[in-house]
Amino acid sequence: MTMNIIEFKNVHYLYSDYEEETIKGIDLCIEKGSFTVVLGRNGSGKSTLAKLTNAILIPTEGEVLINGISTADESKFIDIRSEVGLVFQNPDNQIVANVVEEDVAFAPENLGVPSEEIRDRVTGSLKQVGMYELRKHAPHLLSGGQKQRIAIAGVLAMQPEIIVLDEPTAMLDPQGREDVVNAVTKLCREKGFTVLMITHHMEECIGADRLIVMSDGLIAADGTPASVFSDVEKMESLGLDVPETVRILYDLKKEGFDLPLTSLSTEECAETIIRGNLNKYA
Amino acid sequence: MLKDITLGQYFPSNTVVHRLDPRTKIVLCIVYIICLFQANTWLAYGLVLALTLSVMALSKIRPSAILKGLKPLIIIIALTCLLNLFYTKGTPIREGWPITYEGIERAVQMILRIVLLIAGTFILTYTTSPIELTDGLELLLNPLKRLKFPVHEVSMMMSLALRFIPTLIEETDKIMSAQKARGADFESGNLIQRAKALLPVLVPLFVSAFRRADELAVAMESRCYHGGEGRTRMNPLKMKKADAFAFILGALVLAGFIILRILL
Repeated sequence: MTMNIIEFKNVHYLYSDYEEETIKGIDLCIEKGSFTVVLGRNGSGKSTLAKLTNAILIPTEGEVLINGISTADESKFIDIRSEVGLVFQNPDNQIVANVVEEDVAFAPENLGVPSEEIRDRVTGSLKQVGMYELRKHAPHLLSGGQKQRIAIAGVLAMQPEIIVLDEPTAMLDPQGREDVVNAVTKLCREKGFTVLMITHHMEECIGADRLIVMSDGLIAADGTPASVFSDVEKMESLGLDVPETVRILYDLKKEGFDLPLTSLSTEECAETIIRGNLNKYA
Repeated sequence: MLKDITLGQYFPSNTVVHRLDPRTKIVLCIVYIICLFQANTWLAYGLVLALTLSVMALSKIRPSAILKGLKPLIIIIALTCLLNLFYTKGTPIREGWPITYEGIERAVQMILRIVLLIAGTFILTYTTSPIELTDGLELLLNPLKRLKFPVHEVSMMMSLALRFIPTLIEETDKIMSAQKARGADFESGNLIQRAKALLPVLVPLFVSAFRRADELAVAMESRCYHGGEGRTRMNPLKMKKADAFAFILGALVLAGFIILRILL
């Protein structure tokens, strides 16, 4: 049986100094252990969606359930926040200590975990993101990708089931971006964490189980990355691009080649083109 | 230029002094300052100097590190020296000269006092990491909680401030470069003109600092921060034998200085 670990029920959110709702009624279920990516333009409400998952924001209408517990239940907010690890965009603004391992220890310290167990959790979390060797370093001397992986280790130390990342790669260079996405993918595939990653980089959606496109506070598309991207006209109408591979296939299709638009990786795409041509000239 | 600031700089090492509990070091630093201000004879000054040098040797701090830290204070030291030199009454070194023998003595003692005061506090910050320092202060000030003084909050604010100093310095450098690229001039003009030129640096710096503070607060809440109540530590501070020994030594030194003061 699959279980919905995150559940949005007709969720609306209105910031107190705004006229218009940022989230205009979202129904969404996320399966345990799945890797979901949320894509959307600036101002589509994707960051608000992230903050709604761990009770930083409480829906103005409707409710968000984490493991069946409503985020509006004030007596449970510590439980919810330790269940949903939230990683933000700017690594500098989420690191609280001058030493890497002290920073990773921050969350378990807040939870009142005994000292020896904190030490174990910190060691474990840092190893999971491949930053154990740098545990004694000062965070401000590390690269963006390394800082972001420390931020991930910082939420792992809470031993959450869900990791929500709000544009974790937006401020990183390509190398840092790759390291962070690889670390997150590994956590989902090998350690069984449920991952919800918000991004505006197409390439980061390819490895996901599910792709949700947000536009103007609503879910505009929802499905596997291949099926969502294959509707090129719809993505364009939402002001979003599609991966290069889908773009090539789409352009070829317009020229009269009968090719499916579901190949996302470069290898798959090449294979599709070759096979398609073979059929044509056979 | 901004990177030269040696504010609260920590030199990691593993000497006896580094391993002492931060609480011990803070208390002993206060004892040291009391002794220093007690000193009014050359003998007492000599003893404080010997004490400072031996702790420096124990903690393997090079004198050049202390001297580097003294550099920004040179004006204050020079001013104190001059004032004492010219405004102390006594026997002039030559008929009609404003400089007196007593003045020279006081000026030298004043310089010694300031230099030793700074050296002492530098030894504390050089051998104690900022986290240890704020943890130590939090525990030392804990009794004040009864008087509703927000001890945990103040210590958290201090450690966050220390954490963000390098980040904000980096940001200041960036903003200054950006403004220079648009023709801002920070180097010429008199003091007032230069202060005015800094305004286009300070405004964006403050705006960004507030935005950072906002994001940091949300990130801290996301990691279950809810005040000092029920918080544990990964490395709880523990007093060891060496700390007891250091306390006894500190008490003896303090007693010695008080006796010296009474006798002489």
